[in-house]
Amino acid sequence: MDYIFHIIILINIYIILTTSTNLLVGMTNLLSLGQAAFYGLGAYFSVLALMVLHLTIIPALLFSAICTSLMSLLIAYPSLRLKGDYFVLATLGFQLIIYTILYNWISVTKGPFGISGIPSPSLFGLLYISGIYSFLVLSSVLAAMVIYIFYKLIHSPFGRALKGVRDDELSLLSIGRNVTSLKIWAFTLSSGFIAIGGCLYASYVAYIDPTSFNLDEAIFILAAVLIGGTGNIKGPIIGAVFVVVLPELLRLVGLPDSIGANLRQIIYGLTIILLMRFRPQGIAGEYALK
Amino acid sequence: MSESILNIDSITKSFVKNIVNVHGNNEDERYFIIDDLDLLVPKGKITALIGGNGAGKTTLFNIISGFVESDSGTVLYNDKSNSINISKMKPEQIARIGIGRMFQDNHIFQNLSVLENMLIADSNTFGEIPINSFFRTKKNKEVEENKIEKAKEIFENIFGNNNSFWERKNDKAKNLSYGQKRLLGLTRLLMGNYQLLLLDEPSAGVNASIIPQIMEIIKSFVDDKDLTVFLIEHNMKVVLDIADFCCFMSHGKIAALGTPDDVISNDEVRKIYMGA
Amino acid sequence: MFLQFIANGIVIGSIYAIVSLGFALIYNTTKIFHLAYAVLYMFCPYMILTFFHGLGLNLFISFTVAIIITVFLSVIMEFLVYRPLAKKESSLNIMLISSIGIMIVVTNIISLFYGSETKILNSEISKTFTIGNIILTYAQISQVSISMILIVVFLLFLKFSRFGIMTRAMRDDDVLCQVLGMDIYKMRYVLFALSGLFSAIIGGLVAYDVGMDPYVGMPILVNAVVALIIGGIGRFEAPIIGGFIIGILQALSVWAFSARWQDAVTFLLLIIFLLFRPTGILAERKRLV
Ligand SMILES: Nc1ncnc2c1ncn2[C@@H]1O[C@H](COP(=O)(O)OP(=O)(O)OP(=O)(O)O)[C@@H](O)[C@H]1O
Ligand SMILES: [Mg+2]
Repeated sequence: MDYIFHIIILINIYIILTTSTNLLVGMTNLLSLGQAAFYGLGAYFSVLALMVLHLTIIPALLFSAICTSLMSLLIAYPSLRLKGDYFVLATLGFQLIIYTILYNWISVTKGPFGISGIPSPSLFGLLYISGIYSFLVLSSVLAAMVIYIFYKLIHSPFGRALKGVRDDELSLLSIGRNVTSLKIWAFTLSSGFIAIGGCLYASYVAYIDPTSFNLDEAIFILAAVLIGGTGNIKGPIIGAVFVVVLPELLRLVGLPDSIGANLRQIIYGLTIILLMRFRPQGIAGEYALK
Repeated sequence: MSESILNIDSITKSFVKNIVNVHGNNEDERYFIIDDLDLLVPKGKITALIGGNGAGKTTLFNIISGFVESDSGTVLYNDKSNSINISKMKPEQIARIGIGRMFQDNHIFQNLSVLENMLIADSNTFGEIPINSFFRTKKNKEVEENKIEKAKEIFENIFGNNNSFWERKNDKAKNLSYGQKRLLGLTRLLMGNYQLLLLDEPSAGVNASIIPQIMEIIKSFVDDKDLTVFLIEHNMKVVLDIADFCCFMSHGKIAALGTPDDVISNDEVRKIYMGA
Repeated sequence: MFLQFIANGIVIGSIYAIVSLGFALIYNTTKIFHLAYAVLYMFCPYMILTFFHGLGLNLFISFTVAIIITVFLSVIMEFLVYRPLAKKESSLNIMLISSIGIMIVVTNIISLFYGSETKILNSEISKTFTIGNIILTYAQISQVSISMILIVVFLLFLKFSRFGIMTRAMRDDDVLCQVLGMDIYKMRYVLFALSGLFSAIIGGLVAYDVGMDPYVGMPILVNAVVALIIGGIGRFEAPIIGGFIIGILQALSVWAFSARWQDAVTFLLLIIFLLFRPTGILAERKRLV
């Protein structure tokens, strides 16, 4: 049973990551290879909140979301002036920089040794969220909240304006909208919410190191979104379920982990290639990447 | 001429093209599209801009609406009270001070519904700040309802009750026909708060039966809404029917200017349009 | 010591320059952001491993066969993935994602068959060569000299051959090329083959010196892409200049600080150029729209 709960918690974490990424990739057509950096920043900021500032869980979540959004704001303005490939490159560069810093700034992040013994967060100082059940509840609540918020955002005038950016920037400019500021909103909101995933991950696993937030992870998050589908709510959720459940299925079939790890990557890779060719909007998505 | 809304003063624009010449070397070639062009666009009238393909008409519109920066010269926009130099302004700022634009190729939001295309064009951007669409839901709902009401009214005023646009309001815009897309592009301008509309060939590529409807709409912009229309048009019948003034653009300058009848009798214009 | 670092920088720089040139060959002409290019760099050494150690062929023959297979893989990528997408007029973002897909698939296939740990091709300690107080291995010297030869031959070829002129024409306007009756798709095969060749040669040489694992390609490619950006997109001399600049700056940062921060130099350069001079050092004159 615990095993299934563990899987559900992982799915919840990935739902938060993919749903947030969808706001950027699916709604605004901004392809980012830097999402793992914000995920990682969220995780490290939450460690700061939990271990140094001794915050309870809700302030810690807010703290890491806000700090990460502020960081993303620093990146957003310069990189959003760039178009197409250049934007992708800027996010890639940023991803690599953050990783290098997390890895090498040993006095603060402990570098490759990682930070262990992250304490169980408490809720209002009343009860401790430690066992798998409490994480199941916490992660489900957070995932549901993130889905709800993004549902509301996508169906609001703001979401409509983002769809406008995706469809036709020129036209949006001609009706007097500030396209850059819309993109900045999408960028910071996306990274703020992805930080919540990072915070959840850090407190659940109780140990983080930079390799969980490297370029491979960024590609993995992006792959999950693109496989599940872009531009609506259900696509990213399906993507999160797919990428978390597939390895477990391979394990159930009896493949040893050493083969399974490569095999599932190969399956992801092939899925992406085939989807891009035959169904670029993903399994359940609404809009293809432009 | 009466009071002018747009004062275009010695605008020059050239493009540089990097080509591979016959020897296989790279070479820059500079050519002038607009060459020291002056023009006053009168307020409250329909002014047509004509000229051969590639004369630079669309480029002039791009300069006015801020999508392209001119090499030199100024564009002054005379608002209700004051005159503003818009030559260095960004497209979205220019749109917000009251210059609306319709593009030569359909630039509507293909993946939004017909109704959403109207709503997004509204001058009120209240709910587009995520905080407003989240926390001030009541006000936001009100604003949205007003926008929908406004869109409905515009459709009814132009196309009559039970019009097909309102019936198809939830269809994706990409499913409309080409002519319908142009009509939508034209009507959505009424959602904004504009003084001057730049229309780039509104009648291009549409069925002859829709052209009278388009002319009606343009005329109603001026007669009912007191707007000014500056329009590029290749269809001389439309120009003769609705334009108050006409200017002919050639070799980067305004070569002839006057009432449509005057301009059409100009030799060079005849050469291009009548093949005579 | 300082000169030794400069020399190391030039060695690394020549690797970046060649990889960057191969990447630019695809990017400048087809606009495909060919991230899967990274796997060609590591694929060739594994082929050498198979023929040299596995089948016991002679080193030179193993090298040649491995290079041919790598070139073939490069062309296969175009044939199976990019070409159908290009025919469908898919967007560049979709090409980029597909490229990531290829990269994931090939990397993991290699890792599945050969394991993900480091493998070495040459277990002898390589002989060194001393000029003044600079010490280089023979492998490093061959990397630099072969890179130089490749670069010079390629640039001359580009300048004077019919193929070179066609490549430059394609860089400028591939629709026009099509109208003028050039067979774009045939050209693209040649370009993919050529870029695969570059990557295979240098990848093989480097791996012969220091060994390889399935993930060696990506860091090199990232540096190569940055080299292209700082050199300037659009011109074929640019990636070479950029490659040497990065190589030397990295070596200097190792000299001045420590090896830990040498990657940071690259990313810093990337950000600086993206922000202040996205057209690169050898700016193609900026074309509007
Ligand atoms: N961004 C650009 N770069 C280079 N040349 C351009 C650019 N934009 C326009 N031109 C050139 O400027 C000239 C004028 O173009 P423009 O679109 O203004 O013509 P037009 O008068 O609107 O023609 P049409 O009646 O066909 O719409 C054309 O020769 C075009 O090729
Ligand atoms: Mg035009």
